[in-house]
Amino acid sequence: MRLDLKRGVFIAAIVFATTGIAELVARQQVNPDAQILADFMERVKAYVALREKVDGDAPKLQETKDAAKIKAAQLALAALIRSARSTAKQGDIFTPPIEKKFRALLRPEVKGPEGARTKATILDEKPAVALKVNADYPSTEPLATVPPGILQALPPLPDGKGLEYRFVRTHMILLDTRANLIVDFLLNAIP
Amino acid sequence: MPTRRPVPTLAVLIAAALAVHVATAQQLTLPNQKDSVHFAVIGDSGTGGSDQLHIAQRLTAMRNTFPFEIVLMMGDNLYGNEGPRDFEKKFEVPYKALLDAKVKFYASLGNHDEANQTKYKPFNMNDKKYYTFKPPNGSVRFFALDSNYMDQEQIAWLEKELAASQSDWKIMFFHHPLYSSGSTHGSDTSLRDQLEPLFIKYGVDAVFAGHEHFYERIKPQKGIYYFVSGGAGKVRRGDIQRTNLTEKGFDQGYHFMLVEVTPKMLYFQTISDKGATVDSGALPRRETPATPK
Repeated sequence: MRLDLKRGVFIAAIVFATTGIAELVARQQVNPDAQILADFMERVKAYVALREKVDGDAPKLQETKDAAKIKAAQLALAALIRSARSTAKQGDIFTPPIEKKFRALLRPEVKGPEGARTKATILDEKPAVALKVNADYPSTEPLATVPPGILQALPPLPDGKGLEYRFVRTHMILLDTRANLIVDFLLNAIP
Repeated sequence: MPTRRPVPTLAVLIAAALAVHVATAQQLTLPNQKDSVHFAVIGDSGTGGSDQLHIAQRLTAMRNTFPFEIVLMMGDNLYGNEGPRDFEKKFEVPYKALLDAKVKFYASLGNHDEANQTKYKPFNMNDKKYYTFKPPNGSVRFFALDSNYMDQEQIAWLEKELAASQSDWKIMFFHHPLYSSGSTHGSDTSLRDQLEPLFIKYGVDAVFAGHEHFYERIKPQKGIYYFVSGGAGKVRRGDIQRTNLTEKGFDQGYHFMLVEVTPKMLYFQTISDKGATVDSGALPRRETPATPK
């Protein structure tokens, strides 16, 4: 009886230790991904901060019945952003590790019969847009719908800041909707 | 020697005007009750072309007999460029008479619309891509959604607003149809998976969408009425592949809708560019759903 008790305590200790090790290993496995996503969020935040800084110099875009004012404010904001990040290039936000992570997040969303529906929704529109950082998204081209499942799979962008994930065929862009400007892009984001 | 055309007398002119007026008045199938909510629906309108202008004129003329104060826009409000001239040509000029008469347009964003349209005061979006409003008369609440980008923030907002609404009628409008028999686009099932459970849970009565350049009335789905109305500027002839979803379809011309909501009924009339009524009817309000948990 005493022997059984000792054995039980020993087994429990082993189980506890093993679980602890497993948790530690799991945490180490999760951490790199979390770091990558945290890095992405930091880069997005830095962009928002830059825009807010230059936004102070742009004419305030208030609700108006004068469409000319809306366009003028949009173009002015875009010009200020371009000037403030004139050296920006593809991959500044979607760095290679972030790119890899995003592809991994997107892949399951476009796999299988459900995924085929999602992909069909994205490819329902085939905008012809030259992908270039800091370029306008041409208003002559439609915007492809981003299926809700895709938005749930990706890290949420800051609320109310006018940043959106969008697709140009199979490529993904980060679009600043206030300036109508391509912030960065990820080639062949979905297979 | 050129022959002189007879000059019409004043009486002839009045008679002709009356004839036009009567013809228009006869076309109205709606009850046109004084205290009900009257509105019009236009979708995919913003081409700036002569067809948009023509259907806009018909819509304007119908207001003489059916005095609507609201126009819901299903998106694709401006195709192509969105400079100041485009707002003029694709919106302000075609609907000038209605704008002058203080009719309020409420826009939703389509896949051809820039987000900054929310800043354009005549679209009454209050600088929001999704919003809700309630006309002063009648127990009707409208919800405009941005179906291009249904993120968690928007879904959470919608659920909160639906839960808070005490209105008898809850009416949705947005660009992409959850149900459609269009061969070009068809039903947006991804969007449906997200929205339909909320519509059912909170007792949404009717849903208006565009995107497809035709008219389709869908058979009620889980007790909800669905309309596709995307032909106020473009038409895709022969695009409806009639399925078991279709209650009524029209893809042979441009159209707009007139809608009247009374406490118990929603009446609708869909009018083509030729002035013909292509669909009309009366739909009872849904039973109040169980109290949401």
